[in-house]
Amino acid sequence: MTLVNKGFANDAGSASSSKGMPVLRYIPTSVPCEASIMEDIEAGVDGAFEAMVTALTKPLTAEEESPKPKEIEKPARIIFKGSLEEVNRFFYQRGWADGLPIIPPTEEAVAEMLTGTDLPSDHLLGKLESRLGKATIEKIAINAVMAGALPTYIPVLIAGTKLLLESERGFMGYTTFGFSTGSWAPFWIINGPVSSEINVNNSSGALSPGNIANAAIGRAMGLIIKNIGGVRKGVEDMGVMGNPMKYSMVIAENEEESPWEPLHVEYGFKREESTITVSYPQTYLQHWPYSADAEGILRAVIDNIPRGMRYTFIFTPPHAKNLAREGWTKEDIKEFISEYARIPGSRFAGKGLGGMWGGLYKGRIPIRDTDSLSMIRDPQFIRVIVAGGPGAFIAHAAGGGATPGKKQTQKIELPKNWDKLVKKYKNVVPTYAKY
Amino acid sequence: MEEGEDGGRSRLFLKQFKKGEYRMTNKANSEYEVLSPWAEADPIPPRGISPRVESLEGRKIGLLRNSKRAALPLLNVVGRRLKEKFPTAEFTEFANLRPNEVIIEQDAKEKFEEWLKGVDAVVAAFGD
Repeated sequence: MTLVNKGFANDAGSASSSKGMPVLRYIPTSVPCEASIMEDIEAGVDGAFEAMVTALTKPLTAEEESPKPKEIEKPARIIFKGSLEEVNRFFYQRGWADGLPIIPPTEEAVAEMLTGTDLPSDHLLGKLESRLGKATIEKIAINAVMAGALPTYIPVLIAGTKLLLESERGFMGYTTFGFSTGSWAPFWIINGPVSSEINVNNSSGALSPGNIANAAIGRAMGLIIKNIGGVRKGVEDMGVMGNPMKYSMVIAENEEESPWEPLHVEYGFKREESTITVSYPQTYLQHWPYSADAEGILRAVIDNIPRGMRYTFIFTPPHAKNLAREGWTKEDIKEFISEYARIPGSRFAGKGLGGMWGGLYKGRIPIRDTDSLSMIRDPQFIRVIVAGGPGAFIAHAAGGGATPGKKQTQKIELPKNWDKLVKKYKNVVPTYAKY
Repeated sequence: MEEGEDGGRSRLFLKQFKKGEYRMTNKANSEYEVLSPWAEADPIPPRGISPRVESLEGRKIGLLRNSKRAALPLLNVVGRRLKEKFPTAEFTEFANLRPNEVIIEQDAKEKFEEWLKGVDAVVAAFGD
């Protein structure tokens, strides 16, 4: 039998069921999460003690001995008919929406969405954790319509779903970051020609609302995770605080104005190929440089760096050009940050967290409190991209992501009629009135 | 707009309003037949749980934990409380210590299965 915190009872049920053990005996306890106060632990164990002994000794029921197989979950394809308001309320009450209004996924809207791919609608990409829901092209298209996506985004969403399906198993992949108490948000970076063809913003306010591609691609991926993967907030996604970046965090790299090779080329793709890359930051912060030259930029980065496991630093084109003019490559920047982002030994996490995160730091465990440690063990844990508008801010997205060398980028495959599609939707852009 | 047309529409508006047919939205006019976003899932063949012991007296109880901070002190308390109530019970531990990686399904599988063979019951502390 298993003891779980009472807030995780539903999660325990989903987890055991999705692993084929729906009758697992688990006892919710009042022991606080990550408890370290013995009084609380003892009170929680004492409160659950009788139930625990019963769970260990009470004979099995026939169902527990040999649970009946669940029926195939095959929801009706057409699920509802109603007005805009009624459809929205129905989807929301079923737990299929994200709190914002959705576009009704009608047969016609989904058919239009499917013009963005050559794959048949019943093509199965795989089964997405945790529920092992079948990620068919049609289900991706339905969730894309709901999010307000254009058909030209479907290739990106298919690639994004593949990325989740092929994500590294274990701690550094989607199966942790999609569900964890840490509220990690998927951060999608689009590279290659597709980014401009579908108007992914890489300039002013790239990560703010206002562009369909940046808004709808991340939103659609969130709905795919929810409705195909079955990862629902507070049930399977146990993020404690939550994260507004989970609505959508999508950016394109400004490859045209970057002095360096783009991210996907660093990862072995051709410049003319298009890709989507994911990481899972918890934190997004911005700051000024101390000055516009390399030293002022990089010292400010070092001084503002938060704790994390994987980092993406976003430099504006002028800052990137200034760095490059002084001879700094992306690799030099990663090395510099990895070397100089340090904490004093007195702040070494091993002292406060039972050594749990000690392995994140390179070098030896400090002997003296005055020794310093690198915060980032490996320069490969760092990404540098170029984006953002005029102005002098630098952004950090810090959190989790793949182990170097493991899957983190997926090539975007385009349909045969791509040029025609781009022409059809390319002009769907806001035109702001002057005043 | 012609005056007559406007007057005609106004009269229609009044007529609809009095009959209770007028709506401020297009609710009655637009209906959407929508597809389900919820994916199909094949059922996973279910497994039953292990038979229970009649009593914990004289039994070997396994304490299984993952890497989360509370798991060890919690299981220490569980072990102490069980020992107080069932003095002849014995205890053995197994730790799955890599964060969020099920090493008992990977590199420690054999070791874990061997451990399981030696216990009569298991109390697991997982999660946060």
